[in-house]
Amino acid sequence: MTVRKRQMKLGLFLWATGHHIAAWRHPKAHVTAGIDIDHYIRLAHTAEAAKLDMIFCEDAAGLREANVGIASQTSRSIGFEPISLLAAIAVQTERIGLVSTASTSYNEPFGLARTFASLDQLSGGRAGWNLVTSANHIEAANFGSTGLRPHADRYERAREFAAVVARLWGGAEALNHDGQSFSIKDPLDLPRSPQGAPVMVQAGASEDGKDLAARTADVVFSAAQTFEEAKAFYTDLKGRLATYGREPGDVKIMPGVAPVVAETESEAREKYEELQELIPDDVGVALLSSYLSISDLWRYPIDGPLPELPPSEGMKSRQALVIEQSRRDNLSIRQLARHFAGARGHWRVVGTPAQIADELQARFEGGAADGFNVMPSWFPGELDAFATLVVPELQRRGLFRKDYEGRTLREQLGLKRPV
Amino acid sequence: MHLAVSFNIASAAGQAAELDFSRIAAFVRKAEAAGLDMVVISDSAAGGQQASSPFEATTLLAALATVTERIGLVAGASTLAHQPYNLARRFASLDIISHGRTGWNATIIQDPREAANFSRPEGISNDDFRRRAEEFIGIVQGLWKGWDTDALLFDKVGGRFHDPEKMHLLDHKGEFFSVRGPLNIARSPQDTPVLVVSGLVETGLDFAARMADVILIEERASQDAKAACNDLKRRALANGRSPDAVKVLLTIAVGPELAADRLEAWFGPEGCDGFNLVLPAEPSALEDFVDRVLPELRRRGLPRPDYTGTTLRARLGLGGGNRP
Repeated sequence: MTVRKRQMKLGLFLWATGHHIAAWRHPKAHVTAGIDIDHYIRLAHTAEAAKLDMIFCEDAAGLREANVGIASQTSRSIGFEPISLLAAIAVQTERIGLVSTASTSYNEPFGLARTFASLDQLSGGRAGWNLVTSANHIEAANFGSTGLRPHADRYERAREFAAVVARLWGGAEALNHDGQSFSIKDPLDLPRSPQGAPVMVQAGASEDGKDLAARTADVVFSAAQTFEEAKAFYTDLKGRLATYGREPGDVKIMPGVAPVVAETESEAREKYEELQELIPDDVGVALLSSYLSISDLWRYPIDGPLPELPPSEGMKSRQALVIEQSRRDNLSIRQLARHFAGARGHWRVVGTPAQIADELQARFEGGAADGFNVMPSWFPGELDAFATLVVPELQRRGLFRKDYEGRTLREQLGLKRPV
Repeated sequence: MHLAVSFNIASAAGQAAELDFSRIAAFVRKAEAAGLDMVVISDSAAGGQQASSPFEATTLLAALATVTERIGLVAGASTLAHQPYNLARRFASLDIISHGRTGWNATIIQDPREAANFSRPEGISNDDFRRRAEEFIGIVQGLWKGWDTDALLFDKVGGRFHDPEKMHLLDHKGEFFSVRGPLNIARSPQDTPVLVVSGLVETGLDFAARMADVILIEERASQDAKAACNDLKRRALANGRSPDAVKVLLTIAVGPELAADRLEAWFGPEGCDGFNLVLPAEPSALEDFVDRVLPELRRRGLPRPDYTGTTLRARLGLGGGNRP
């Protein structure tokens, strides 16, 4: 009997015109993505033809950037509302999973459970919910002006929310939930999900977030720059599962990866530099400023070095990292701004299909990932490149399956069906 | 004459298993082929023991938009079950997905069972519900206009994606809600999706006449229906609107006895603008209407035989955006 080799899961992370801050300025980027449903259906077909496990939509119920001048130089202020987007894609695809983000702070469990159950029915059991608690003041102002709730309160609400949604999806016959944040009398009025219940996804990296994920998530998206960070997160989260009576295989951990791929390494580097050149200086400097928590970086010459900043007391590790890198590599403000604006805190891999496959394989086999959430830098070009260059390489190595194996998203991901 | 068909999926008790998407899509395409103006998908978030419909209305609408081309698609969505910001986004997005064929059916009277599933075990009074719904609708319409039609520049070389001067905050602070805005969705093809108001109560008539694009009134005798239509048109005029800016459709249940004569009696210069035909969620019921009643009405020259505009607003002869 042959033991079947463990294979990685791959998701496509959709975002605006692409994950790179200047994606929309790329000459071939589909700049009208945010108002063109056919574009998204084409992307879904590309992902499905490449046999990817799922499409993932992030979301926020508000603008991304408070500074309107900066916002107007990015493509992220407009786009589709993800549940309607995925419902449209659901009946135009057959096998790929459809995961949407929705906030526990600005929804009610009954309505959210019902909407995702409907998406699940429309797609024949391919829906997933990425639970977020929303930590953004711009969103909060669209839902009453009382301001953002404290972190712990948000998670307490999220825990109750997730638990009651699971009961609604589970077909509880009499609900009568009367909790701290919510009260719900009736069971859901829709048929039971074809996959038992939609897949639960989470991405929180805080202690509360990891705990909630260990308790309820089927899939966890994460952000990790280095192998060590990725492995530490993976080990930490898998280690929490036993507390809740779960096994390591019950949760798939999928860090984000932003690949830039070409036939040759120099071509890939050129492609990346081409995008970096398109970052408007004030956008880059604004993002760098927010990383460094200083407001007047624009006062300094952009081709000069980073100014002396106040003592690093209280500075977070990422800020310290920026300063350290600027000194070590002798980078100007412009160079540093481009470096950080382009990467968006995620893991970027630039190279040939084999080089990228090597990197993914190392993390997959090294106990740092069960798969990856792929973040193309611009659409459709970088998705096409990943689908036609990297996926076949992974398949050749036996790291990724050659065809869909399950009907539902749960089957595809090898997840247990909830009772 | 405008014709809507209300596809009452919530009434299809016990049929959920058979009522899959392809069957619903076939039904709606049939209505489209027959030249009907719009399909109204009812919705209820009241819960219950028995599954009556496999789908929630807005998600179903999004899916239907991809398999139809001309017919208007109107979904019910409760003001108790949603937050105004979320609902405005959902429908603006649907309007873009459908290329300007979307409408929202808002109701001014509550489903008394709904509050108990939305963390309001003590319920909400009918008057509070109505005032809250009115504020809610005003916010949604305001959010829909947050981006000017020419706000998006897409200027790759100049690095200007949109014109920040053409994006506007709502800054609404009211009795029930406070919403800053703007939406993170572009101006939709119809500017504002068609607002279909139903469930009128006496105290809500002025509001409906002021805000609605389409008003659905309940079935009643033809003289009463005419009086109700006239009353709503007068109220629209008193609110500074043209009486043609609001279309009043009379809801009628379609059974075997429905004849073209009866429809004609309700219609006319002094009557309503058309009908909202409530059909059971069975293709045979629509077939019967399409094969029997519609040809007779057409023979008398009543409904327009074909689609003239591509957006729902254009079809209904309403003002507003028309950028499919």
